[in-house]
Amino acid sequence: MKLEERARELEAKARELRFHIVDMVHAAQSGHCGGSLSAADIVTALYFEFLNIDPANPDKGDRDRFVLSKGHACPVQYAALALRGFFPVAELRSLRAMHSRLQGHPVQGKLPGIEVTTGSLGVGICEAVGLALEARLRKASWRVWAVLGDGELGEGAVWEAAQAATKFGLDNLIAVVDNNGLQNDGYCRDILPLRSIPDKFRAFGWAVLEMDGHDMEDILRTFGKALLITGSPVCVVAKTVKGKGVSFMEDKRDWHGKAPNAEQYAQAVAEIKGGPA
Amino acid sequence: MMHESAKIPTRRAYSDRMAERGESDPDFAVFESDIGYSTYSYLFGDRFPERYFNFGIAELSTMAAAAGMASTGRRVIVSGYGVFLTMRALEVVRSFICYPKLNVKLLSSHGGLTAAIDGVTHQATEDIAFMTTLPNMKVLCPADPVAARAACDLALDTPGPVFTRLMRDPLFELYGTEEEFHIGGSKTLRQGGDVAILSYGDLVFKALLAADRLAALGIEARVLDLYSVKPWDREAVFAAAGECGAILVVENHQRRNGLGYEIATTLLKAGSCLPFDNLGLDDTFAESGNYHEMLDEYGLGPASITAAAERLVAAKKGRA
Repeated sequence: MKLEERARELEAKARELRFHIVDMVHAAQSGHCGGSLSAADIVTALYFEFLNIDPANPDKGDRDRFVLSKGHACPVQYAALALRGFFPVAELRSLRAMHSRLQGHPVQGKLPGIEVTTGSLGVGICEAVGLALEARLRKASWRVWAVLGDGELGEGAVWEAAQAATKFGLDNLIAVVDNNGLQNDGYCRDILPLRSIPDKFRAFGWAVLEMDGHDMEDILRTFGKALLITGSPVCVVAKTVKGKGVSFMEDKRDWHGKAPNAEQYAQAVAEIKGGPA
Repeated sequence: MMHESAKIPTRRAYSDRMAERGESDPDFAVFESDIGYSTYSYLFGDRFPERYFNFGIAELSTMAAAAGMASTGRRVIVSGYGVFLTMRALEVVRSFICYPKLNVKLLSSHGGLTAAIDGVTHQATEDIAFMTTLPNMKVLCPADPVAARAACDLALDTPGPVFTRLMRDPLFELYGTEEEFHIGGSKTLRQGGDVAILSYGDLVFKALLAADRLAALGIEARVLDLYSVKPWDREAVFAAAGECGAILVVENHQRRNGLGYEIATTLLKAGSCLPFDNLGLDDTFAESGNYHEMLDEYGLGPASITAAAERLVAAKKGRA
């Protein structure tokens, strides 16, 4: 299949993810829409095109490992796992409820497909370094993909991990930065200016690629390039829009961790299902 | 029971065993944060460089990377000083190791005031409180080199996280190489029926020295080595409470939220109301100085233990 055709299919899949993100957060009346929606195209591409995983055998040894370092965006991961067949889609609405396997932040062992527990920012990328080292110890060929937020880059541990990944030459590690420019309290440029994310990672010894995190063709091409890089870890900086796909959530600080009411939910669903890709 | 001066500290004994065990046990890895020549983890690294990872001065990411590797089931020993492992990396230990019950084993050197000469920043005097409070964590504190070697084996053979508190300075040799240890166990090092002194780690020796002094005063003290701090040996402690009628817990740690608090609460809940005291740092920091002088200064030496035991025996008699 041509890349363009595949991109159209994945765009449709990303709409499904977006619907379930809004749907489960609405059902729970709690959760993080903005950062889940900004990562939806990235996560769709990974789960439906790039990750070597098998829902029928979620623990298969040679699987790729996906780490959601920005753990609060777990609705996007839960939606991807359910749509990929790891657990029933109907279970998505149990998000954050008592006895649910869909914890407020991802928990290893609770739900098939969750590799490591995350939620405290800056930790997931370190865990990803450990997983990449594990692949080396086992002489295994699997890759580790980590998705980070840009606000998360304020955590010192991210840069500890970035140095370690270079020291150990972890070219089986790909970190994707969901660069939506917003964090809990406001724009990253106001809260803790990041300056150039690509320059920073380059200075730490990583190969850096940049892409439009909502252009599926660009995502497919860029991730394809990332797989070919050897000798160093790879950072893909994805330019994104927080809340992407729901007009009133886009680029709004207020939608970091808020649930839609009934009216907002109806509008959001209408936009996701009927609006432009 | 021996009473010889030890040639090596418990940190060295644990690492010696770790390096030896690497020969027969090819599956565990060791993570270090640039104090390998102090924790002696380099002994493992020299023999098994392919599974020894030095992350540099970056304790938080070292611990979190260990969690990542251990998420696959692999056993990972993380080596470091108590202050860094249990405070700087505490959240990682809690949320990403204890919560998912991963096989991460903490080789925690410089426990209590054994880093006396280095000052307060290097003295782990709250580590037991932090580690025993974490669900799924097991806590060991060996008193001598033989027990420290056994602790390394217990840690690697016990599923889930295990914290081992080790000491900077060589002290005494207590146990023969045939001695056996287990999670939840204890050793009764001296029999006695007047008062029971419960301790772990380096202060076991101070308790034994105090017991000698008490014997000269006509008081027979039972001395227990609670090398398994969590879980601790309830059977032995309740037997000591029943048979001695007075309990003194001695810890190289803050009094608050140490093992003494746990034992006191447990005894009270069981309806046991007996003369009880616990020695430790009394809501204070210590300072730099000579290790043994420091213990005396802060009320953890043989004289303080002896005096506290005498008070308990007197209180017991007052009740009779």
